[in-house]
Formats: sequence, structure tokens, C-alpha cells
Amino acid sequence: MTPKGSSLMPDSAPFVLDIEDLSVSYGAAEQLAIERIDLSVAKGEFVAIVGPSGCGKSTMLNVLSGLMAPTRGRVDVDGAPLYGAGAKAPHLGYVFQSHRLLPWRTVRQNLELVLSASDVPPDRWDANIDRILDILHIPQFKDTWPMRLSGGQRQRVSIARALLVEPSYILMDEPLSTLDEVTARTMRQELTAIWQRTGSTIIFVTHSIREAVYLADRIIILTRGPASVVDDVRVPIARPRAYEDPQISEVEAGIVERVLDEWGLARTEAEAGA
Amino acid sequence: MRSSYLPWSIAAIALLFPAWWIAYRYTTFIVNPIEVAAVLPAFLAEWETWANIAITVVRVALGLAGGVVLGVVIAFTMNQSELGRSIFSVYVTIALRTPSAIAAILALAIFKRSELGYVAVVIFITFPFMTIGLLDGLKAAHHDLDEMAQIYRLGTWRHIRHVLIPFLAPFLFSGFRNAYALAWKVIVVAEIFGAATEGFGAEFNHAWQYFLMTDVHLWLLVFVALVLFFEYGVMRVIERRVFRWRDSGRR
Repeated sequence: MTPKGSSLMPDSAPFVLDIEDLSVSYGAAEQLAIERIDLSVAKGEFVAIVGPSGCGKSTMLNVLSGLMAPTRGRVDVDGAPLYGAGAKAPHLGYVFQSHRLLPWRTVRQNLELVLSASDVPPDRWDANIDRILDILHIPQFKDTWPMRLSGGQRQRVSIARALLVEPSYILMDEPLSTLDEVTARTMRQELTAIWQRTGSTIIFVTHSIREAVYLADRIIILTRGPASVVDDVRVPIARPRAYEDPQISEVEAGIVERVLDEWGLARTEAEAGA
Repeated sequence: MRSSYLPWSIAAIALLFPAWWIAYRYTTFIVNPIEVAAVLPAFLAEWETWANIAITVVRVALGLAGGVVLGVVIAFTMNQSELGRSIFSVYVTIALRTPSAIAAILALAIFKRSELGYVAVVIFITFPFMTIGLLDGLKAAHHDLDEMAQIYRLGTWRHIRHVLIPFLAPFLFSGFRNAYALAWKVIVVAEIFGAATEGFGAEFNHAWQYFLMTDVHLWLLVFVALVLFFEYGVMRVIERRVFRWRDSGRR
């Protein structure tokens, strides 16, 4: 995501997602959850959104996934409005924090269900599923029940489901936060490889700044809440990246320094020191 | 039922026969099981036996079908509207607490001992179990999967068929199992109280009235066999198929 007119965006890249003056408020008291965000995401970008707990990241994902109309502003996907007059429901992929696979359907049946909803002709289902499971390195689990899979394998299926619908963009809501660290590291590497291979546009929400630096081209830092953009940081590290790379630590430290005051962490540490 | 437990279930059934034998030896009216076994083939060869069984089975099936439909409709109504909940919770409570015999007498009086009366008794007694079971499921439903269905644009029909119904299936089964167990009990009561001329209850009552104790035992045997057949041959087969995904997690 890039603030409007930002020099960070390559001129030639078409915007997949274009947000203008987005605000969301809740309830009768109209409590503000998102405040006047202007952002754009280019095709094929890997964008991470970081922000403290409760800052409005989930609300933002709800808006971007078409579940919640904004109180004010405009969201365009591939040039068509997501809400309001002339709204068009785009194909979106979503990888949730928990896998949200249907436990009563096998991996193949879970994938077939989204294919059937995407109007893909049934004679192409098998080939599409085989291709995507190969990319995710899980072809052997095609006819397995989700309950038989490990946490990492289930998230792989969840990613496969998101890729399968050939989405305009994929939203990922802290998808690795429930995995153990070893599995999460492997998944981060694979996620990068998948993104490079498929050229998908990914919007990845995380509370881990290091994870964001490792994975993303750009990092959008949100305020403590209501959410607005504090900074839009381009990650200046070439790929492939190593998770323990000192350059990643350096960028991470810079972002942490930037958000300490903003997220109220500096004050908390000072209090702890006292 | 898993095949590894089948011998234990067979052993549990087999254990009934020594128990019967002991009861025969030490009580007055229990008939020698060997005597009953001797006349059983002739009893099963009679056309009337199967006709009477069929009549009772049809009454149970129709009543259960009605109970399921009514129970499901009421559960959704109660879940959707406060007004519906206020109105129907009264009827559900009444139906749950009404003794089977009284329900049978009332229904048969209202329907003048017609076939509809027997079906109505089963509907009245079974629907609250479906309602309560399904309501529990609807309350337990969380919105994670609904959200997934919405984001992937599954649409109403796919959502109902592939997300909602499978989620509610355990609750529906639980309600149905209770309803089904009670349906067998209440139909016999209704057939006896309604002085039915056909059906299992009628035959049992007739045998008892004339103190034909061998016939009483034969009809009891038939009843037990029927209940076991539907439990192991129908209910558990369907259950195993519908919930095979749950077993996959236990292996």
C-alpha cells in the first residue's frame, strides 16, 4: 500500500487495490476504528501491515475482504468499486489466523468447493488442484481429512485455497502466528517462494516486525488506534533473504525505534524501568 | 460401531439369553426360552406377523418424519425471532413434560383412533427433542466458517449445504437419536391405549389380555430385534458415514 502519489510506487505498476479517504466507525457512538487512510497496492506486491493489538487491523481486513462497508471513503479493486453503486465482488484469497477448512471435507473437497464457487469448469478442477498442491509441496494430502494434518500442513492447504481462485489479491491475517517457530520459519521461506512463483499480490497482517521485514517489499505501519498510516517503509534488502540476516535486524530496529512512541511502548518501558 | 468392538456388542446381546433363562427358572410368568425359540420360526413365517410389524414401522416413520420437520422449523423460528422463542418455548416445554400415555389418549381422542392419531402422538412426543438439539447447534454456531464462506463467495445454497448442515449434523443426530428412541416407546403405548386392531402394540396387548405368554415373549423378541436392527443396521451405518471425518482424527 502506498500513500497517494507516493514515489515508492513504480509508475508502470497498475494498482490492484486503491483506497481513498477510508474511515470506519462502530456503533451508535460512532467510535472510530480506521481514520482517513489513503493507500494503493500494485499488482504483484508483497505488502505487510503491522500495528499493535486492537489498532484496527482486523477491521481493515474486513473492509478489504468485502465484509464491512466503510463509513466513509472508497475502495477500488482492479478499477471497480468494492462497495456502493456499481460495486463488483472480486475474487479474493484469504488466509486466516486459523485455517478455517471445513473438517468434514477432504483437502480436495475443500478446494473443489471454492473452485465451484469461482465458476471454474469442473473438468479443470483436478488439474488446478494438482498444480496448486504441487506448488505447496503437499500433493500427497489431496484426499486427506484436515484433522489428519499438522498445523503447518493445514495452513498450506489454506494458502492453496487462497491461490486457487486466482485472486486479485490475497489477504493474510497473521497466518503463521499459531504455528511453532520451526514450522513458521519453514512456512515463511515457502511463502516467499510461492509468492515469487505465482506473482500474487499479498497483503500480510502481522504483529511481528521481523516477520514483516523478512517477507515484504513494503511495510505499512499503523497507529495504535484508530488506525491510520504512520509510515510506509520500503524494505531495501535483496532476495533471497535469511531470517537471521543482520540487515533484517537493522531494518527491524529502525522500525521499532520509529514505533516505540507511537505504540506507547517507550512509556511502558520507562515505567517498567522505574 | 468399529469392527473391533463388534464381538463385545454380540456378547452383550448373547448375555440376554442366560438372563432370560434365570428369570424363567426363578419366576412364574416368564416362558422357557427354548419353548419360545421352538415356535419362533412358525411365528416369523406368518404373513400377519410382518404385516403388523410393517404397520407399526410405518406409523413410527411417518411420526418421526413429521417430528423432525416440525422440530427443525420451530428451532429455526426460535433462533431467528424473540417472538418465536417466546411462543414456541411454551409448546416445547409442554410437549417435553407430557407423559406419553396422556399424549396418546388425547391424540387418539382428537383423531378418533384414526391412523393420523398414532402419527400425531409420535410427532407430538418427538418434535421437542429435535428442536432442543438443533437450537443447541444454532447457539454453538460460530461465524468463522460463515465468514470464510462469504469471502469465497460460496453463495446461499453452497453455504447451507456444505457449511451449515454439516456443522449442525451432530446436533441433529443427537436430537434425532432421542426422538427416535422415544418414538418406539410411545407408539406401543398409543397402540395399546388406542385399542388398535393392528400393529405391534395391538398384538402385544391382545396376547397379554388372553395371557398368551409365549406370544407376549415372541412380540417382545420382535420388538428388541427391530430396535437393534434400526440402531445397528441403519442409525449407526448412517452415523458412521456422515461422521467419518471425525474418526479420522482419532486414528
